[in-house]
Amino acid sequence: MLRGNRHVAGWQGASLVAITYVYFLIFAQFAFLKRLSSLGVEGAQLKIVMAAMAIGGILLSLLAPRLNVWSQPNARLRIGLCTSAAAAFLSLLSFGSVAALAESFLIGAGLGLLTVTLVTHLRQWTGSRNPLLLVGLGTGAGYFACNFPPLFTSSPGTQGVVAGLLCLVGVGVSFSVSASTAEEAETERRPTYSFFRVLGCFAALVWLDSAAFFIIQNTPALKAGTWEGSLHLWANGGLHFAAALASVWLLRRKGLSLVLSAAFVALGVACLLLLDPSHAAFASVIYPIGVSLYSVALVAYPSLLAPAASAAERGRMAGWIYAIAGWLGSAMGIGMGQNLGHVPPVFVLGAGCVVLLPWVVKTVRGRQREMVATAVVLLAAFCVEHFVVAVQIPSQLNEVERGRQVYISEGCINCHSQYVRPNTADVLMWGPSESIEDLRREHPPLIGNRRQGPDLAEVGGRRSPLWLRAHFFDPHEVSGGSIMPSYAYLFLDRRGNDLVAYIESLQGSGTVEHVAAERDWHLSASSMAAANAGEGERLYERHCATCHNVNGSTRLIWQANFKRLPPDLRVGPFYYLPPYGPAALRIDRLAQITKFGVAGTDMPGHEYLPDSEIASISLWLTQSNAQLSQNR
Amino acid sequence: MSPYPSAKTIYARTSSPGVAGAAWHSLLWLVIANAIGVLIAVLLLSPSLNKELGEWTYGRWVIVHMNLELYGWSSLPMAAFLFKVYGADRGPLAQWCRPALWVWSTALGVGTLSWLSGQSSGKLFLDWSGYARIYFPLTILALWLLIAAALVSGWNSSDNAGLAARSAKVLGLVLLLVVPFLIYIASSPTLYPAINPDTGGPTGASQLESSLIVVAILLMLPFGLTRRKAERSRTIAIAWVVLAAEMVLCLALGRTDISHHRPAQYLSLGSLLLWLPLTPAYYAAFEWHAATRRWRIAFLCWWSALVLTGWVMFLPGVLDHFKFTDGLVGHSLLAMAGFVSSLLIFVLVELLGEDGWIFNQTWSFYAWNGGVAAYVALMFTAGWREGFDPAFTMAPGSMRNAIYDIRLLVGISLLAASVDWFVWATKLVREPSLDSVTSAQEVTA
Repeated sequence: MLRGNRHVAGWQGASLVAITYVYFLIFAQFAFLKRLSSLGVEGAQLKIVMAAMAIGGILLSLLAPRLNVWSQPNARLRIGLCTSAAAAFLSLLSFGSVAALAESFLIGAGLGLLTVTLVTHLRQWTGSRNPLLLVGLGTGAGYFACNFPPLFTSSPGTQGVVAGLLCLVGVGVSFSVSASTAEEAETERRPTYSFFRVLGCFAALVWLDSAAFFIIQNTPALKAGTWEGSLHLWANGGLHFAAALASVWLLRRKGLSLVLSAAFVALGVACLLLLDPSHAAFASVIYPIGVSLYSVALVAYPSLLAPAASAAERGRMAGWIYAIAGWLGSAMGIGMGQNLGHVPPVFVLGAGCVVLLPWVVKTVRGRQREMVATAVVLLAAFCVEHFVVAVQIPSQLNEVERGRQVYISEGCINCHSQYVRPNTADVLMWGPSESIEDLRREHPPLIGNRRQGPDLAEVGGRRSPLWLRAHFFDPHEVSGGSIMPSYAYLFLDRRGNDLVAYIESLQGSGTVEHVAAERDWHLSASSMAAANAGEGERLYERHCATCHNVNGSTRLIWQANFKRLPPDLRVGPFYYLPPYGPAALRIDRLAQITKFGVAGTDMPGHEYLPDSEIASISLWLTQSNAQLSQNR
Repeated sequence: MSPYPSAKTIYARTSSPGVAGAAWHSLLWLVIANAIGVLIAVLLLSPSLNKELGEWTYGRWVIVHMNLELYGWSSLPMAAFLFKVYGADRGPLAQWCRPALWVWSTALGVGTLSWLSGQSSGKLFLDWSGYARIYFPLTILALWLLIAAALVSGWNSSDNAGLAARSAKVLGLVLLLVVPFLIYIASSPTLYPAINPDTGGPTGASQLESSLIVVAILLMLPFGLTRRKAERSRTIAIAWVVLAAEMVLCLALGRTDISHHRPAQYLSLGSLLLWLPLTPAYYAAFEWHAATRRWRIAFLCWWSALVLTGWVMFLPGVLDHFKFTDGLVGHSLLAMAGFVSSLLIFVLVELLGEDGWIFNQTWSFYAWNGGVAAYVALMFTAGWREGFDPAFTMAPGSMRNAIYDIRLLVGISLLAASVDWFVWATKLVREPSLDSVTSAQEVTA
């Protein structure tokens, strides 16, 4: 039990942990780099300056437990805090590369002294009631504060001042703890892990974290998808805080091994996701979780969980962890980010071996039968599949066949049918219908059972390749509020063109007759009566403006690819309308074009819209055009 | 007072590790599949979120969702049933139940990865292709080997006393051996069932055929789960005779591509209505554990609703209106989440015995069944509208969005109920078995 704990409420320990994290994250790892960049310290010079910080950090991390001067932990902590504060304020001055070197060394040295002293004697400031929770709260609060949008987006100078002032607050906090508070007598006994294994795990995790951080920070596409904008920052802060508390819970209930494993899974997956900028947002959710999970452990292990017999031993452990895992791991991660621009999957695998292998071995030991049975069946399946593939005659697929496979792979069948029901309204909308014999020639028939989008059995006769391509890039824009996801990624390789070729191929022999049937379609009297020009304008904006307005989004993006640039229908010309004639006739023809498109052009139909809406669009177009002619 | 034991009072597991493990694995996949269902519902309301998923867009998740519900949640309780029936959860072979379940779950993991990475056969509900198409049938074969070994090792035990029991089990074993090969063959893209030319969907005959397989399972289940009541009931014999007659009818209908407008099709499918009174009467002829009561009532209610609405929705005019709409999505959910799920839970409660309390929390019972009822009502409403106006879904308006918003909430309710069962099942599998507690007490004494 601790003696003299009546002077310690615990908040002091949490505050000091939070202050240290804020200083390290927002100043040493972030603002100082921006400050150096603004002073023109870049390239090789920057590497040397940052190396000075690492040397300072490593040196003081290792020396701190061995220092005979300032033997009182409180005094040593204050020295560390004051040094860090001084370094933060000094960064506001203009300095050359030599001064930057000294400044950087000072930051590292201050942090080395501060971190090792803090965790070695943490119980002095947390007390013995719930120290683990206080570590979690401090870590979570530290990360949350760093993601607080006004602080995160402020200038490096402001961030330096805040970091320096917080260190001074830390000095004040240290005075609130009575000097009579003595060293803790015993360490909270936990299941013991090999110190070197823990050291290796922390080094791997810090390496991954630093590499991911550097890559995100220096890749605009990734940065935009992860921590740009207040919403992202608030979300990141919240995730960090929640993950820190989760880490406390897991440390208590499941132990260190699981926390480190979970942190690795999160960070490893985040690093793999960052290989593709389209996954940046997904990575931005997982990355902070992984970071906070291990960050709590990084404080809790040397201060509370390590099997140290004395404060001196704990100090030495902390020193090695922060020197090797903290400073060296961080430097290696940043180096990887600088030189490779990504975290190689092989490295993630290697880190996984370091972190997960002992856990896997332990799990396997308790589940030998399960593992053996699974491995046997997996292997048997592998052999059988190998045999099946070997005896099959390899076939070379053409563009359309490959496109069909893309259609199946993407699960298009879950939203689109390919079946025009004969003798129903389907025929005019999606027709003509196909015979069962034709259908059975497909392997398998892709009839589907749900229409959240149009039937595609004959879509090749209704849509041009350009329209299909534009639609796959941005369905919401091209098809007036469509709920279909964008498939732009398919065009990064040949899958997109294959899919377009397949969709284009979807037309039977009755297309000519069907076009004639479309020509025979006319607006009913009831549809005309229900037509509303105001509604027509709204529908035009939703379904037509993207191509037919001069600044329409689809028109601007694809203008070089149209067979003929779509006319601005507010002014005309209307290529497919008779130049003169009764208004009713023009409305009827306009309705046919709106509903079924113009065969052989890029103009699509809007087959699924109710006739009243088609009539409204046609009415509005006719009226607005007539008004324009009068004004002329 | 609740007739069910309080969760807090349970401190030792009475069910076998094999059965408890199968319940845990099936609930794990239910939770995962339901969570994916919620994700899908969110994506339908906010399609822009697809961008955050990279290549794992809506279409791929739907495949995963359906297959995990089908081959995870709906299949693994049957493994528990087979463990019990063939005695694999007792004796020296019991230690192989958990490995068999692991192999099955690994198959689902392999399947999930393959579907998400774009490996698909294009066959709804039989979507096994590439490596997964081999691995999954081998998984079933591994399970078959376990129960076959259990039957052989327990051949002379009291469970297998009598020619009837032995013959039924051997026959069952022979039929089960066909399943993995059937799944492999039926997954082939070159095979496709009979098509209703007026809808593109199944014919009345093929619906009758699949329904009769379900009826056969319903009739067979009680013999593996419990025993008949002491008083003689003719219902059991009548039910089997009716099933046999309907099978003959089904054979007579053949497997041609034929329209639902043909009276022979919808009238023969109407023969299933006989099961509305027969099924409850049949189940009343058996003795059931008290804890199964609410789920037995639930599954019989859902079964009645399914048979009735299934037939009505096949009728000319009705099917033409609802085909390809949310109405049929609602009907599928009625079948899977309503009937199949409540039947499976009923089976699991009976198998778990005193441990069946894990499914009997009142709130989760109502969250699930109320959620399913609400979901079905919503989807029928949406389907009814969609039948008149295809743009109702394709160009969403406020009403469609409101319906889908409520559907999302209902999905969360179903997920919450399944998480509750999974949490309790996790606690249950960690409890020491009653046998081990008793042995320990004996040693101490």
